[in-house]
Amino acid sequence: HSRLRHPGARTMLPLLLLLLASAHGLKKLGYTPTLAKSPLGGLTTASTFVLEQPRCVFSKEQDDAVIWLVVAVPQAVANFNNSVEPGTAERAFQSFPTHNPAYMTLNTTILNYPCPKPPGEITVLRVGSETSCAENEMRPTCNGPLPGPGPYRVKFLALNSSGPVAETAWSDPITLKTAKPPSTIPTMESGHSAGMITLTSILSVLFAILLAGLVAMLVFWGSDAYGGSSTFSKPEAVTVRRYNTHHVYDQTAARL
Amino acid sequence: MAKSDDGIRILQGLLVFGNVVIGMCGIALTAECIFFVSDPHGLYPLLEATENDDIYAAAWIGIFVGFAFFALSILGIVGAIKCNRTLLLVYIILMLITYAFEMASCITAATHRDFLTPNLFLKQMLERYHKLETVNNNDKWMTEGVTKTWDKLMLQNQCCGVWGPSDWQEYTSAFRITYNDADFPWPRNCCVMNAQGSPVNLDGCKLGVPGYYNSNGCYDAISGPMNTHAWGVAWFGFAILCWTFCVLLGTMFYWSRIEY
Repeated sequence: HSRLRHPGARTMLPLLLLLLASAHGLKKLGYTPTLAKSPLGGLTTASTFVLEQPRCVFSKEQDDAVIWLVVAVPQAVANFNNSVEPGTAERAFQSFPTHNPAYMTLNTTILNYPCPKPPGEITVLRVGSETSCAENEMRPTCNGPLPGPGPYRVKFLALNSSGPVAETAWSDPITLKTAKPPSTIPTMESGHSAGMITLTSILSVLFAILLAGLVAMLVFWGSDAYGGSSTFSKPEAVTVRRYNTHHVYDQTAARL
Repeated sequence: MAKSDDGIRILQGLLVFGNVVIGMCGIALTAECIFFVSDPHGLYPLLEATENDDIYAAAWIGIFVGFAFFALSILGIVGAIKCNRTLLLVYIILMLITYAFEMASCITAATHRDFLTPNLFLKQMLERYHKLETVNNNDKWMTEGVTKTWDKLMLQNQCCGVWGPSDWQEYTSAFRITYNDADFPWPRNCCVMNAQGSPVNLDGCKLGVPGYYNSNGCYDAISGPMNTHAWGVAWFGFAILCWTFCVLLGTMFYWSRIEY
């Protein structure tokens, strides 16, 4: 923006610009394209994103115009030339972003964006859904998958036979998802659960007690040979014990 | 003398009862472990691919241990009724060996269940699902197992990925190498299917419109059966072992009280 010496030039320049704009008939609409409002799982993926359709944005006077979507890298926004025809090499999808910083796609007439929007309907545009023509140079207006995570800025541009007639504002930068490699997933951080520790410790203690009992039993068996402690007599064996008469009496009474 | 006589008789009765319970529990353990080994949910290929399928080894041990408990309990009952020291000694020693095996089974099941975390399955799914280039036959077998199991899981449980369809977006995967992101943001089986097995609305599925794709993860469908399996083997085995401990202590005491 150069400084002119003439004091009146301050007001002249914007007036000139306005004249230029109206001479071309390019209407700047106040709408900013945004990502779709409804909750979608695939709102942005690694190579596609979903925009809200520009319903009730383009007015009647642009009825005969074709509305294009312009996708550009943020650096191309400042010097973007609306007059470049879509479908030319300069706006071809296949050479984006290496040879040209913007491409135009998803052309349609205003009939496909009827106003008002029916409530409850999901009106969206999926940018990047056409994979069949992504490599086909004969289809420069292909809606192919985006080559990288971006960021990208988009706007809608209405063109008729005499050139651009209306444009929306540029959107905020849209960044797509970047995928991490699965080797970054940590798998070794699991500790031992409390249940497992309880189980192991209790079982070990019980087994140790049983082994000790077995050893005690065998030792007892060894020392048992020296004299009997109170033992249980088998029912079928005949027991011969020496008691005095008084106890025999009690014993036989108890057995009956 | 009369009192201890009665006491020993009660102990004999208790031992017979204890052994009956062990016998029944042994059969129950065998049946339970056969059920788990038969893999009704079809999750074995996932475990096989982690190369950590020891909870299945624990179930296999459980089958044989259960049968051993049953056989030994009969020996125990006969030994207790006949008051035969030799039989009871053989019973105690064999029971201790079986006890050790069952302990191994319980601890294995509990320990290896702790290894099966969601991240393990996530990593495995990303690396193996629809992997095309396999190194050798073993790799090919495991990859096919994982792919088939996941396809079946996602279809039958109406779920997608381990945590959700975002798994396929957040991480690169073998699937992503074969299928491009624009056409397949997530596998087709994540879409809601009609009766013929094709997606109800493919565009809705690709966009991620709720109702046309499965937004919940499959981890619950995996961990549920696996937890039942591992805890079923581990804790039921633990309960049997606690009971067996009491019966064995009683038997040892009873053995020491029999004259020979």
